[in-house]
Amino acid sequence: MGAGVSPARVAVLRFPGVNCEAESVLALERVGLAAEVFGWTRPASELARYDAYLVPGGFSYQDRVRAGALAAKDPLMDTLAEEAARGKPVLGICNGAQVLVEAGLVPDDGRVGLALAHNRMRDRSGYYARWVYTRVEPSNCVFTCAIPAGSVLPMPVAHGEGRFTTTTPGGFEALLAAGQVPLRYATLSGEVAQRFPDDPNGAEAAAAAVCNAAGNVLAIMPHPERAQDLGGLARTMAGPWGHRRDAVLEHGDLAAAGPGLLLFDGLRRHLEGA
Amino acid sequence: MNATPSRTVAQAWIELRSDDPAAVSAFAVARARLAAGRSLGGLRRLRLIEVTGALPAPREVDALLHRSIQFYNPHKERCTLRFATADAAPTGAGEVLVCVTDRGGERRPGAERWWRHQTGEQADVRESVVWALRFEGAADPLAAARELALLVDRHQGLLCNPHAQTMDVTAGEIPLPWIRSDAR
Repeated sequence: MGAGVSPARVAVLRFPGVNCEAESVLALERVGLAAEVFGWTRPASELARYDAYLVPGGFSYQDRVRAGALAAKDPLMDTLAEEAARGKPVLGICNGAQVLVEAGLVPDDGRVGLALAHNRMRDRSGYYARWVYTRVEPSNCVFTCAIPAGSVLPMPVAHGEGRFTTTTPGGFEALLAAGQVPLRYATLSGEVAQRFPDDPNGAEAAAAAVCNAAGNVLAIMPHPERAQDLGGLARTMAGPWGHRRDAVLEHGDLAAAGPGLLLFDGLRRHLEGA
Repeated sequence: MNATPSRTVAQAWIELRSDDPAAVSAFAVARARLAAGRSLGGLRRLRLIEVTGALPAPREVDALLHRSIQFYNPHKERCTLRFATADAAPTGAGEVLVCVTDRGGERRPGAERWWRHQTGEQADVRESVVWALRFEGAADPLAAARELALLVDRHQGLLCNPHAQTMDVTAGEIPLPWIRSDAR
């Protein structure tokens, strides 16, 4: 970005029950974007002023009816859909992903084509929180396309309803072929996760994230904003990111850029036309 | 010698004694945002649990359900049992019932283990959610209920995402059992 150019503005939507807006704003600011929380009581028309949007994690409307189901009906989502159709980037994280799926912004054109169903896990049920590995897939997704395909990014998951699924025949095969599954749960060595707990919720195709066909709207279940500090990477996570974490722990720079920040930097690159 | 008990079904209808926040929110959103919800006059949410197996006498089933947190909390919820289709369910006149079940997620293994531990008998325990909808002035309440329930897009449907859930709608006799399995 050149000197004197104002940074792109990102609205972080806050529905009642959201609880990850502060760290989401921080992650956006760390890559050089101007971010602010946009409360659900503000006029929806004001949303159009922003360059990009983030629907953060939490429990919007207390997950009543289904996670994301009520926020998906909010008038803000109509404006968000209109701006997304114009090509503006939208990132939904965890509960934000559930909202985007329930609102039909992902995977496609307004009709609901997916669900984020209750986790399916071996010998347990309910909410599950853990650090997992994700693998970057070839995709035109604005948030991940600058990250080399095959990269393994550790990120935490924390959800009870995170299993991407569809009744559309061949649904996930088509999404994979179209590059609309930009992140999949993986092993440390980068193989697609086959079973719990590498795949923490039983998602079809081990999908950790799904984007729309244009690549500007991404619904992701892991929390990249919670993986923005390298020093916060769980001690259990190994591989290249684990080595980097060990190094910063030794030298004290705990807030060095972590793997999750790559997605926010991808947004910055896209907004700056890089 | 005791006769071997036959396989029977107990249907437990469980509703909060206080206002149900999920029902209040669903009602408000349906009325305000969805065309099929405009004529909605009331909406309640009940948990439906079905216990199937060699069950003891109804009074004993009632006591078993009452004393385990696997099924309901008697301090904040009320429970009505049905053992036959002729038994009344806690539904109001004119209500349309929408039974929503998570695909492959209706079983309650913890409750089944508890039941086996208490009774020595194997029972299947399944759970769904029933939404009781009351329409005012809708020409076809069943059709309105289906439209309101089945999620299609931001402006149509709310209660059932068909990619993860199934639904059954009735305004008449309530099946026993009612919860159907879809292992998908």
